Amino acid sequence: MKRTIPQAICLMIGIVMVVQFFVPHPISLQFNSMILKWVIVLTAFAMVLAIGNLIMHHTAKIEKKREGWYYSLVTLISMVVMAIIGLCLGVESESLFQKIYLNILAPLGSTMFALLAYYMASAAYRAFKARSLEATLLLIAAFVVMIGFMPFGQYLHPKFPAFAEWVMQVPNMASKRGILFGIAFGSIATALKIILGIERSWLGGKE
Amino acid sequence: MRWFELISRIDRRIIYLLLTIFVILPFFIPLKISQNIMYQTKKLFDFIEDIQPNDKAVIISIDYTPQTQPECHPMALALLKHCFRRHIPVLGVSFDPQGPGLAVEAFAMVANEINREATNHQDSIIYGEDYVYLGWKSGRIAAIIQMGESIKDVFPRDYFRNLIDSFPLTQRIRNYKDVAIAIIVAGAAYSDEWVMYAQPRYGIRVGAGVTAVMAPEYYPYLQVGQFSGMLSGMKGAAEYEKLIFDHGYTKVPGKAGTGMDSQSMVHLLIIVFILLGNIGYFFTRRKR
Repeated sequence: MKRTIPQAICLMIGIVMVVQFFVPHPISLQFNSMILKWVIVLTAFAMVLAIGNLIMHHTAKIEKKREGWYYSLVTLISMVVMAIIGLCLGVESESLFQKIYLNILAPLGSTMFALLAYYMASAAYRAFKARSLEATLLLIAAFVVMIGFMPFGQYLHPKFPAFAEWVMQVPNMASKRGILFGIAFGSIATALKIILGIERSWLGGKE
Repeated sequence: MRWFELISRIDRRIIYLLLTIFVILPFFIPLKISQNIMYQTKKLFDFIEDIQPNDKAVIISIDYTPQTQPECHPMALALLKHCFRRHIPVLGVSFDPQGPGLAVEAFAMVANEINREATNHQDSIIYGEDYVYLGWKSGRIAAIIQMGESIKDVFPRDYFRNLIDSFPLTQRIRNYKDVAIAIIVAGAAYSDEWVMYAQPRYGIRVGAGVTAVMAPEYYPYLQVGQFSGMLSGMKGAAEYEKLIFDHGYTKVPGKAGTGMDSQSMVHLLIIVFILLGNIGYFFTRRKR
């Protein structure tokens, strides 16, 4: 029963929503609107679960004094403090919430991401070698696109940026389109398998 | 140690040091290299140029995070400047939970900049009349589709908890029929849903501002016209800044131009290192 009822709901809603897309009748549109509102509300509940999970995970870590428990404490304190500040003092552009976000969270996030540049430069130097024909082609393509998209590219040759653009618009686009078709067919197949109950892993657990 | 062994074993600390210098240097000594404008940037600019002032709105979905802020934030600022200077109403939304903080800053920054120069009410940018920021909403696909029927159903209140019916702008802009284009400035694949769900059903035009690594994914959308223009990475932002500067919509050059100097220098450095690595590898292999 635990699996049959969710599968029946999935089958029914799945088929109804597919049919609904092609029926522009007011009742059909109203039904679609109602389902979409439900989805928005249900997704918001997922956030509640996520917050609950975060609190449980970090509380357990602090209680058992596991390695790095003080980071968990910082996480929990930050979450509670930001929530209180946001709810009590507002989120306007001059608010304390906004000041903390822009002056603490944003620089921290940017710094973490900026570190990638160092690793990428070092990794490119060590690993990006013309070891085979494929690797050489990749290397040439990367050079063309990098130089062509740089403002310097136009000074090397006036047609260099246009050539880089051609690489993006023809060989790149051909491969991307192939991948997109693959993804689209795969998505349709997976959706059908879920609606028809062939794919059941989304239910989780055991029978 | 021979010369080719030397160039294939450069210490990573030297790479890091040079990278730091190459990033910082252009901030003090701007290179001022002129940008060649890519067609997708021009296409988006022209699209906004063709929108009638005080008529249909532009939705700007701010879906980037502090991690992708250096690339995406200048795009949002340049787009807002362009729309506000042309008196095109703007509705801001976010479907990334980290988006609102940066969105509020972007709207406030551009509105304040324009209002400092404004001499009368008509030149000013007023919240509720010229723009409204609706905030973040969960269930992004459902929200994007439902906004096509009624924006108010999805966002009964704006980000600052005001009823959207209390604003003249949102009384007038009710769904996608009143929207000229939705431009998604994002550091992840947020624009896909607009193309997949909102465009086929409601016919809304979609534009995008994406990070440079994401741009190759979206060329097929651009070619078939599902995107009415795209800004790709910091280069796209710098190009858009140049376009609005050249057309007199702003007197201050944007930050992406300076960022492009740093990025170009770093790209050059990386190319030199890759070449050195390959020369070293080639000679080492030949010796063996």
